[in-house]
Amino acid sequence: MYHNASQLRKKSFLIWQLVKVDVSSTYKRSFIGLSWMVITPLLAVVAWVLLQGAGIMAPGDTAIPYPAYVLLSTSIWSFFVGAYQASSRVLVESGRLMITIRFPHVVLIAEKVLVHTISFVIPFAINILVLVLYGVPFTIWSILFPLTLIPLLCIGVGLGLLVALMRVVAVDLAMLMDKIIGFLMFLTPIIYAPKVSLPILAKIVSFNPLTYLIGFSRDLLTAGTFFAPTIYLWVSIGSVLFLVFGFWAFTKFERKLVERMINL
Amino acid sequence: MKTSHLSPPLLSVREVYKKFAKDIRYNLYYGIKDIFFGYNKSYDQLRHQEFWALQNVSFDLREGEILGIVGANGSGKTSLMRMIAGIYTLEQGEIMTRAQAKVTAVFALKSGMEPLYTGRENIYLKGALYGMSKQEIDSRMTFIEEFSELGDKLDTPLGNYSSGMGARLAYAIAVATNPNIFIIDEALAVGDSVFKTKCFEHLKEFVKQPSSGVLFVSNNIRKILKIATRVIVMGEGKIIMDSHDIKSALTFYIDNCLQHLEPEIREARLRTVKYYDL
Repeated sequence: MYHNASQLRKKSFLIWQLVKVDVSSTYKRSFIGLSWMVITPLLAVVAWVLLQGAGIMAPGDTAIPYPAYVLLSTSIWSFFVGAYQASSRVLVESGRLMITIRFPHVVLIAEKVLVHTISFVIPFAINILVLVLYGVPFTIWSILFPLTLIPLLCIGVGLGLLVALMRVVAVDLAMLMDKIIGFLMFLTPIIYAPKVSLPILAKIVSFNPLTYLIGFSRDLLTAGTFFAPTIYLWVSIGSVLFLVFGFWAFTKFERKLVERMINL
Repeated sequence: MKTSHLSPPLLSVREVYKKFAKDIRYNLYYGIKDIFFGYNKSYDQLRHQEFWALQNVSFDLREGEILGIVGANGSGKTSLMRMIAGIYTLEQGEIMTRAQAKVTAVFALKSGMEPLYTGRENIYLKGALYGMSKQEIDSRMTFIEEFSELGDKLDTPLGNYSSGMGARLAYAIAVATNPNIFIIDEALAVGDSVFKTKCFEHLKEFVKQPSSGVLFVSNNIRKILKIATRVIVMGEGKIIMDSHDIKSALTFYIDNCLQHLEPEIREARLRTVKYYDL
C-alpha cells in the first residue's frame, strides 16, 4: 500500500497528463469545447422542471420539493455509479497501453477517480443553483457535504476494482454486476422517500448500505440533519475497508490478468 | 565495436518459461482458477489447451552488443521482450539487469499517443508514460525536436502526421529516455529510408556508450545483417541458435522457417527467399 502511494506521488505528472487527455479529448473537436460540461446538466435540469410543470411527477413525502429531491438524489447516485463504472473499466479500456508500455497501473485508477470527480463537480454546482431556486434551506453543515461523499466514492471504486478484474476473465459476472448496479437504483431511496410503505421494499431499503450513504449526504446538505448517523458511521467504515480490499485484490492480480488480454 | 566479456552482462535471462492458453474460454477459465488456487503450482507442466510461448530461454546481453532476434511468426520473440520489459509477469526463471540499468522498450511506436494532440503535447504524454518527469522532458525537448526533424509540424495534431512522421516522433521520444537496454520490437518498419538509416546509425553510436546494449527484434533479414553484432534465432518458444556469425544464423533462420515443407519445395522456396531477403 505504501509502495503504491509512493508511486502515485512520483507519477503525479503522468496522472495529470492522462487526466488532461481524458477530460479534453471528448471536447477537442468541438468549437464550444468544455462548455458542454455545463450545457449537458442544464438540459437535464430543464427536463426535470418540464416534467414537474406537466404534472407528471406527483409530489411525495419529501422534506424538500420533489424535483429538487430527485435532482439531488440522482446526482449523488451518479457519483457512486460513475466511480464504479470508471474504475471497473480501467483494465479493458487501457489493455493495449498496458501490454506495450510498462508503467505503474495504479496511476490509471487515480486518473479515473480524478476525471470522475471533475465531471461530477461541474453539473453538481448547477444542481446546487437549482436547489437554491427551489428554496432549499442550506445550513452551515452543508459545508461538510463533500466529505460525506468519500465513503460513497470508496464503495464505488472498491466494487469497480473487483469488477475490473472480472471484466477480463469473468465477463458474465461483470455484466451481471452492471445490471445489478443499474437495478440497485430502484432499491435505494432516490426517486422515492426513505419511508416506504411496501414491507418487502422497506426491508430491502433498510439493509441497503447505499440508503444510508446517500441519505446522510442528502439530508446534511439540504436540512443540516443527520440521517441514521450510527449506521452511516459503520457503513462508512465498511466502505473504506471494502476499498482497501478491492485495491489489494486489484494490485495483486491485475498484471496476471492483463497478459491474458492479448488473446482477447 | 566494444564488447566486454569480462564485465558482468547488462542483461541476464535464465531458464525463463511462459505459457498461454490457445483457446479463449480456457484462457479465461485458467485466469480465474489461478487467482483462487495459485499460479506456481506445476507451472512447468502444460494444462489442457496450453502451449509454451517461452520454454527454457537463457541468454546474456553484453554491453556494446546489438542483439538481433529473429524467428518465425509466433516463435516467442515479442513474449520474450515483454518479459524483459517487465510487462509480462515472470512465473519461472530469472531476468536480471545490471544495477541501475534502465530498460526502454518500443513495441508499438504510437501506443499511448493521442491523434488529436499536437506532436509537442504528445512528447509530454509519451515521455511521462516512459517514466520521465516534466523537467527531464523539458531538458530533452531540443534533442527530440532535432532528432525527429519535424520542424513546424511538431505543433500540429499527430493525427495529421503520416505513419513515418509519427514513427520519427515516437522513436525520438524513446531515444530521449536515455536507456541502458533499448528494446526495439519491429518498431522501425515504418519511416522513410533516410530516417531509418539515421536510426541505424544512431543505434551503432548508442551501443558505444558505457553500459548500453540493444535487443533488436525484426524479421527483416537485411536490416539484421547490417546492424546486428550477434543473432538469436527463436523457434516454438526456444532459442534454437545463438551466434556471432550473422549470415549463418540468418540462413539457419530461413531454413528453419521452411522446415515443414517437402525437400524439393523447400529448396525452391529457399532460393527465392535468399534472392529477395539476403
